[in-house]
Amino acid sequence: MKLNRRTIFGTLTAGALAMSMAACGGGSDDNGADGEMVSGEITGSGASFPDAFYAAAIEAYAEVNPDLIVTYNAVGSGTGKSEFGEGLNDFAGSDSLVKDDDGPEAGSFQYIPTVAAPITVSYNLPGVEGLQLDQETLANIFQGAITAWNDPAIAATNEGVTLPDTAITVAHRSDGSGTTSNFTKFLDEATDAWTLGSGDEVTWPEGSIGGEKNTGVAQVITQTEGAIGYVDLADATETKLVTAAIENADGAFIQPTLEATTAALDGAEVADDLSYNPLNAAGAETYPIVAPTYILLRTDYEDEEVAAGVKEFVNYLLTDGQDIATDNYFAPLPAGLQEQALAALNETIA
Amino acid sequence: MTTLQSGGPTPPDLSGRNLSLRRSIADRGATVLIGLCVLIAALPLALVAWQVVSRGASSWSLDWFIEEIPRNYRTAGPGMGPAILGTLAITGMAALLSIPIGVLGAVYLNEYGKNKPLARFIRTMADVMTGVPSIMMGLFIYVGYVIVIGDKTGFGGALALACLMLPIVIRSTEEMLRLVPDELRQASSGLGARKWRTVMGVVLPAASSGITSGSLLAVARAAGETAPIIVTVGLTYVYKPDLFDGQNTTLAAQIFRNASQPFAASQDRAWGAALTLIAIVFLFTIVSRIIASRFAIDKR
Repeated sequence: MKLNRRTIFGTLTAGALAMSMAACGGGSDDNGADGEMVSGEITGSGASFPDAFYAAAIEAYAEVNPDLIVTYNAVGSGTGKSEFGEGLNDFAGSDSLVKDDDGPEAGSFQYIPTVAAPITVSYNLPGVEGLQLDQETLANIFQGAITAWNDPAIAATNEGVTLPDTAITVAHRSDGSGTTSNFTKFLDEATDAWTLGSGDEVTWPEGSIGGEKNTGVAQVITQTEGAIGYVDLADATETKLVTAAIENADGAFIQPTLEATTAALDGAEVADDLSYNPLNAAGAETYPIVAPTYILLRTDYEDEEVAAGVKEFVNYLLTDGQDIATDNYFAPLPAGLQEQALAALNETIA
Repeated sequence: MTTLQSGGPTPPDLSGRNLSLRRSIADRGATVLIGLCVLIAALPLALVAWQVVSRGASSWSLDWFIEEIPRNYRTAGPGMGPAILGTLAITGMAALLSIPIGVLGAVYLNEYGKNKPLARFIRTMADVMTGVPSIMMGLFIYVGYVIVIGDKTGFGGALALACLMLPIVIRSTEEMLRLVPDELRQASSGLGARKWRTVMGVVLPAASSGITSGSLLAVARAAGETAPIIVTVGLTYVYKPDLFDGQNTTLAAQIFRNASQPFAASQDRAWGAALTLIAIVFLFTIVSRIIASRFAIDKR
């Protein structure tokens, strides 16, 4: 038998990998004055809804100023807000407003609206395109009161369309989500017929199918004939789903497009803190189910370099960044709101 | 070899040729059934491997392993270098933290504590901890470390993974130590070695192959963890070799991030990252096998 004393050290260190510890060069004395490029690193976290747009904007911004490393981690609005409260991020992304027990203290943050996007009602019914749904019918479909596609309520707004007697399968988000929140909030505000309430999660009717994230819901719709669900525009377009035209506040049936979304933002009333509610906004051309998204800025940054970095990046989002929104299925802000947002940014971070 | 005497009793026929029909049918049936079960068990593994390789292989190139991660989901092309470095550094640090403590803890349990109340308590707790969902470890470190220092870092992730690995290392090492025959300990004591020398010089080397493979299994499991990493480590697109400075990322976190987007480019990237992670875990396993066979005590 061969025993080797060194084997124990082999055992102890086995699996431990070589790790280099190099200090990261970070920061400079640049104070972010006009014309100079700020550098350093800023991190944001929060809503996953605008993640695709922020990711695209971060990439485009890296070409403008490669010295400022911006990271946006899509952990969800709720987590983003609580991390903001804990001081773990430099800015938070959120689809919803801050409530008392969310983390950030009142007065410690400023909303900056960035983009908005429609929530589509997508369905899988071979041969039927351009379906039109009024708000009450939409509510009844999603709460399980209408169970077949040839229901008279659906036929009433779709003259000339041959509707099959396929059973309706409701597809919804299985995870808590801002998309669910905005969609149910719309139904709740729009029609008395809606009885399931609103929130990040609601109790869906029996027989409905849950999907993880927008991608999961899109998958359920693709795979299930007769399915209907709510999906963001990016996922609906990328997975080639068929979308329904939804009745808006003026009684017109509108398809979810970015133009109809910007129109909804124009029609929305903006509060003093820059929060606004674009759901069911007035106007003949507006799409009624529009989700806004905000960035939360700190009113008091401890680190001046971070403050300068955040200011420059958010400024980019509100100006040049708006141009790439459309390519990523997000609607840019209307000019008025954009100006208000820029003014608030300059006021918050001097 | 003994030669058979002529005229003696003929050796029993063990070939099964003259079994009764019922028994041979039962024999065949059972053999086929077992073979079928092996196939069924292997099928999902083979399908997973085939899926990941066929979808992920196209992402692999030299750039895949060196380039930074594209910031935009829709930008096609390579780059997973920071996540590969992050996976290696974070799991490496976790191993460095948990394996020495776990092995020495197991030595206490098996060589010193035995059935003392403290040892039994630790053993029970370790068993309970093995079954705790990994997100709990992530949240524990989030509350106890990340919030306290006010930053998500790679080291926070390493701590969470170390907490996850520790009970596995303790329990697998203890099982291995228990397999070391008592005669070895007695012989060592008989030659005048003190207890610590017996443990260091006889017991641990005798169990080293089992300890190594147990520890590397824990490392492999930790390398694939997603939930605690997302909570404690954050995200980065660039190389972060310093685990104490700023947010980091790992392959598992990148799979989760990229797979949940509808864009083809990011989904390809998720498959590529999955293949890379499987390759790394596969390498771990091979290395552990080599180490285990190299240090195995054989030729008695």
